Amino acid sequence: MKRLAARDISLEGRPGALTGSLMNSSADLVTRACQGDQEAFRLIFERYSRPVISFIYDQVGDRELADELTQETFVRAYRGLKSLRKETKLSTWLFGIAKNVSRESLRARIRQNQHIDLDDKQVLDLSDQSPVPSSQLLDKEFNEVVQRSLALLDEDKRLVFTLKIFHQCSYEEIAEITGFSIPKLKTDLHRARAEMRQRVGQYVRT
Amino acid sequence: MKCDDCLNFLETYLDGEATEREAEALRSHLITCAACETQFEALTAENEIYARYDREIQISPAIWSGIAASINAEERTAQRESKFNFAEWLSGLFAIPSLRFAMPTVALVAIAVVVGVAYLRMRAPQTPSNVSADLNAGALPKSKAIGPPPPLAPKEAGPNVGPFVAVNYKPRTTRVAHSTDQSDVLPDTDPANSDIEDRDTANHLEQAQNLLTSFRNIKYSDTDEEVDVSFEKAESKRLLGENVLLRREAEQTGKYPAKSMLGSLEPFLIDIANLPEKAKPADVRQITDRVQRTEIVAELRGY
Repeated sequence: MKRLAARDISLEGRPGALTGSLMNSSADLVTRACQGDQEAFRLIFERYSRPVISFIYDQVGDRELADELTQETFVRAYRGLKSLRKETKLSTWLFGIAKNVSRESLRARIRQNQHIDLDDKQVLDLSDQSPVPSSQLLDKEFNEVVQRSLALLDEDKRLVFTLKIFHQCSYEEIAEITGFSIPKLKTDLHRARAEMRQRVGQYVRT
Repeated sequence: MKCDDCLNFLETYLDGEATEREAEALRSHLITCAACETQFEALTAENEIYARYDREIQISPAIWSGIAASINAEERTAQRESKFNFAEWLSGLFAIPSLRFAMPTVALVAIAVVVGVAYLRMRAPQTPSNVSADLNAGALPKSKAIGPPPPLAPKEAGPNVGPFVAVNYKPRTTRVAHSTDQSDVLPDTDPANSDIEDRDTANHLEQAQNLLTSFRNIKYSDTDEEVDVSFEKAESKRLLGENVLLRREAEQTGKYPAKSMLGSLEPFLIDIANLPEKAKPADVRQITDRVQRTEIVAELRGY
């Protein structure tokens, strides 16, 4: 199974990472997709589906739901391609749609009282009280701790934190995606880092 | 730069958002301050640890399939809508300044004509017996609207069977079951059913006529070892099943001309259906000769 580490999912990718069918520039693909070329849109999907699904998963914490919301994100993107301004980065625009789709889903879930609050104490116990796990269990436990800790952040902080730390977006891009002012997002990011530090700090020391 | 300023600024610096001047001032301070340098290293390590975060997510092919299906469905809908939108066309007409005032009058006249025609047709309703007489005279009711079935006696159904009554088709299977159940008591005299049967029979005979014409026109020579009649054979098989059903229904409902026509057609359908897909020219010729001799095609056309 292909595992998606955070370093693999930057939207910009590493130099030379785009090969074969992915040699088309995003602008070309968008132009072709706007003209009804479904193959061009499929290439856009191939290029951006990993970061988009990872971002959505970080927001909703449910794999099946992330699949469903990724699908919805790209369907909405296809519908709105013609409204994409030339100066807007495709990645930023897609994250913006993904953010809206995730938020709608989270709100709907809260309305349906299906929101399951994670046990903060359990997370703290796992990260702060227990002894350092063996190296075999470390990665698995670390992933679980990060997932739970993300779920405990409030929505705004989680958005800003994941866009900065996992997707290396600039403040300006985060502001465009979220609609937050730069001072607000800097404050949210600082607080999110502090909260996450409390929960995953032990792993930093190992 | 003071330590407090440095600590506040560390995250911005690590995020790559500091200006060149700010970055330079921070680097200078870090060289001289061990406490801030330690804090800087801790934050760097913290940033690095998140690179290990692995969601173990796989991109399922079903995601793209779902997207493609949604896109295709939307495009089909858009194409259908772009073909012709009566409401838009009508509103467009009303938007033309020269027609804006004339259109209500035109619409009123059109409505008056429709209502007038409807009224005249309601005044002279066509009873099932009229339809039957028309059929005998060779006039097929091609697209007659069907009224609700009569509650009691067929006589009462007459005035109800008029044009511009909501069409209420009954499934064929239901109708057959009904007529079978009641056959010991009454013939199926439901005018709605009668109309459907007439239309079904007319469609069926038209298809049979096309089949026999096609069969008669098959090109072959006596030197050919075999003639490909696979299409005609398949079509004939299909029509044969229909023919048997319609003939029985015609018999049950007392439609003897229809029964007779279907009865005459049936042997031809049986013969063609029983040919091998690659038939011998002699066998094909035997049937085409019979088609011509009996003038069954002309008879079907006249029905």
